[in-house]
Amino acid sequence: MKKVCENWEPVLQTTTYGAEYFAEFEARAKQASAEIFRVNTAGEAKEIIMNLIKFTNAKKVVSVENPLQQASGVNDEIRSAGIALYTSQADIAEHAETADIGISGVEFGVAETGSVCQDAYAIESRLVSMLPPIHVVFLPSSRIVPGVEQAFDIFSQVFHHGYLSFITGPSRTADIERVLTIGVHGPSRFIIIAVDEPASGGVA
Amino acid sequence: MESSNRNIQKEIDEKLKDEVLRGALGRFSEAYPVSRLKAYENVEDIEALRDLVKKTKMDTVARIEEVADQFVAEATKRGAKVFRAADGAALKKYLIDLCKEKGVKRIVKSKSMASEEIHLNKDLTEAGIRVRETDLGEWIIGIAGHRPSHMVMPAIHLNRYQVAGYFSKELHTEIPPDIPFMVQTARKNLREEFLQADMGISGANFGVAENGAIGLVTNEGNGRLTTSLPPIHVAIIGYEKLIPTLKDAVPILRTLPRNATCQLMTSYMSMICGPTPVMVKKDGQWIEQEKELHIILFDNGRLKAAHDEKFKEIYQCVRCASCLNVCPVYALVGGHVYGHVYAGGIGAILTAFLNSMGDFEKINELCIGCRRCTEVCPGKINIPGLIEELRIRNAKENGLPFVMRNIFEVVGNRKLFHSLLRVASIGQKPFQSGKLIRHLPLFLSGLAKDRSLPTIAPTPLRDSIDKTAKNPLTPTKKIAFFSGCSLDFVYPETGQAVVKVLNDLNMSVVFPQKQSCCGKPVIGFGDIETTRKMAKENIAAFEAENPDLIIAACPTCAEMWKHTYPEILAEDPAWSERAKKIADKVREFTSFVAEEYEKAGRLNEANAGKKKLTYHDSCHMRRVLGIFKEPRKLLRSTSDYELVEMKDCDKCCGMSGAFGVKHADLSMPILSQKITNIKDSEAEVVAVGCPACMMQIRGGLDKQAPNIQVKHVADILAEELDKKKKKE
Repeated sequence: MKKVCENWEPVLQTTTYGAEYFAEFEARAKQASAEIFRVNTAGEAKEIIMNLIKFTNAKKVVSVENPLQQASGVNDEIRSAGIALYTSQADIAEHAETADIGISGVEFGVAETGSVCQDAYAIESRLVSMLPPIHVVFLPSSRIVPGVEQAFDIFSQVFHHGYLSFITGPSRTADIERVLTIGVHGPSRFIIIAVDEPASGGVA
Repeated sequence: MESSNRNIQKEIDEKLKDEVLRGALGRFSEAYPVSRLKAYENVEDIEALRDLVKKTKMDTVARIEEVADQFVAEATKRGAKVFRAADGAALKKYLIDLCKEKGVKRIVKSKSMASEEIHLNKDLTEAGIRVRETDLGEWIIGIAGHRPSHMVMPAIHLNRYQVAGYFSKELHTEIPPDIPFMVQTARKNLREEFLQADMGISGANFGVAENGAIGLVTNEGNGRLTTSLPPIHVAIIGYEKLIPTLKDAVPILRTLPRNATCQLMTSYMSMICGPTPVMVKKDGQWIEQEKELHIILFDNGRLKAAHDEKFKEIYQCVRCASCLNVCPVYALVGGHVYGHVYAGGIGAILTAFLNSMGDFEKINELCIGCRRCTEVCPGKINIPGLIEELRIRNAKENGLPFVMRNIFEVVGNRKLFHSLLRVASIGQKPFQSGKLIRHLPLFLSGLAKDRSLPTIAPTPLRDSIDKTAKNPLTPTKKIAFFSGCSLDFVYPETGQAVVKVLNDLNMSVVFPQKQSCCGKPVIGFGDIETTRKMAKENIAAFEAENPDLIIAACPTCAEMWKHTYPEILAEDPAWSERAKKIADKVREFTSFVAEEYEKAGRLNEANAGKKKLTYHDSCHMRRVLGIFKEPRKLLRSTSDYELVEMKDCDKCCGMSGAFGVKHADLSMPILSQKITNIKDSEAEVVAVGCPACMMQIRGGLDKQAPNIQVKHVADILAEELDKKKKKE
């Protein structure tokens, strides 16, 4: 899978970041109508996603692989519940448009604005985050930078080619009578699962 | 684009009668300032951030070619095809040739103002290509056949019922006026367009020279879809959007969403650097391909502006449209009257550069110079200042309208002007009642519908001042009083009050008889030559008196002396020196007296009086001279009054010099709002520091709330002195 940066963690370490900014990040993300769940272990994320599937009566899920999701073991759970799950590039291209839920991983959060940064170089990561009505992201809860400025300190070191996005809440419009309406061209629900334990035994 | 034969007056009349528009814009202009400030709640220093936007953009425009070359080189190196389009014709040719070459039949667009500037969709459609705007507002006005009425909210002039009507017509089925339902309908409809498009066209909010990336902010997600799904992406970006480094995007991204939509960040902010992958279906199989990325770097007048000493300032614009959101005239008429895609004050300027001076001429009067926009603009653009400069250039290029030319010949000739004013004081007699004209001859009656106009006083200040001034024998300062036309010919009693207050401070006051109009109304119409002549006459008249200080009790007069005279005389070394030297001596009345009272221990801000009084901030007093605390200190120190603040105390009263008389139809609704706020404050007296505001508000109250009085701060201070004397 194409990425702007193969490993964001060491680059984050060149600027200010940490779990101490999580509370502000959470408040700002909620202000932007994002739903946010903080869990200790990736395993707990499994339950959140399975509940979401149950309550939205989802039949089809598209997902791009990310370490936290793999650690959660949610994929097996989805499959064994008899829900269609597509994870390969060609399958995502075929099914994202008709899927009920898209799942992807994001690199870090921005406390100032409640945004998450998605390394969106791979087309499949954009497809799962744009086309289905619900988008779920995995975020390591320690990876929060305080502001837009720190985010760009990071970008200026790694952004030589590709596609990067801030995602801040669901798709929205106020173009008719300035009435805020959620879910225009992108998802109407944007759900962040913030996981405390590191994805692998590696970097804490 | 050539200038059209538009009848602006007729268009304004229509907009003023449009209840939907007036309601929507009225509610919006109420809500916007509050929401905007809320969005800045976690920005420590807004001013510093705005300064940074300004500095970043100023540094860039100073070496725009170099930055553009680097942007082109870096984007090209990564595989983008960059085309520099000199104008609309070149852009269209490149694009239509590309469509033909690649067999493009369907295009989706995500907001590109630059393409609207040249009516690109029309040409594409004529070339047989199906083009769809995908921003909901743009799509709505597209199917309605309208032009955008706001740069960020293009369909703000329509309500849900009208939108439902256009939806029903477009989709050939009855669509109910339910907003979420309509949004979902648009989603379904446009999703098909996205999936089938051969090309996506986007604008760009910034372009980064160091890596050739473009940045896009959107809320609906159409920007990401337009740049991701179709196999070809064309980004149209104006030179003014270029920035040297990625980090330079930070101040833009921290101000643009906060100012444009009162959000801390839009739902999506995407940056695209070089071609990225796209999925295409070949023989039933999905395969990844490299997307074709074209970047069109668009000039169309922008490079000319970059090399213009004054107008390079338009590069500081981030297209947030906050200048419209706070503009009192925009709130009344909306964007259509401005006649082009760029509405409001900044729109008038962009229109002049990107379209034609002819277009500008029709709309330039819609700026009342209240300067509210300068308080919110992220790039700190002096919009009213640039409009004034455009008027000057317009007058130089095209001359002044015949009537104006004649009027200014009169105003520029002191003796003639003053003798005419004296004649007017007799000529108006049949129509006046008390101090205000109640009935005007037929041709002027439109001016006085909801507002009485003042009469010319029988004896001007200049004839009475020597008799009434009580100059001390051993004055601490010699003051030369610049009264301005209003205090001289309309409100001489206020002029007398100024003299009384200064005399009481043990200062002597002289009135140079050769003083004339400050020149504001003349430069307001762009006649810089006449203004220069008047400036020189005034400067000479006051130099002759050799005073310690010059006092003006009119903020606009003070502004002319302090800022405009040195500026317009800058090219003449001798006069420039004289103008600067004398500008240092000029003080505005209320701030000067507050300072003197404070020194003398006469300020006692107990605010203990019984009568409620409210203070109206004149636009120029507050936003040009920065004076708003001082008059309040004086008012709170009076024994009679309690100062209460009205809502929007610093919002324009609608007078704004000639605007208030020429565009009475626009001036009146602005005045009405002011009158409502005054009434709601429950004050018995409105204090002002500006004679023009006094004229406007007095006229409005006379018709609508005659029991409320309007007084200049000088009048109130003089009353206080009279009262004290009586006690003694």
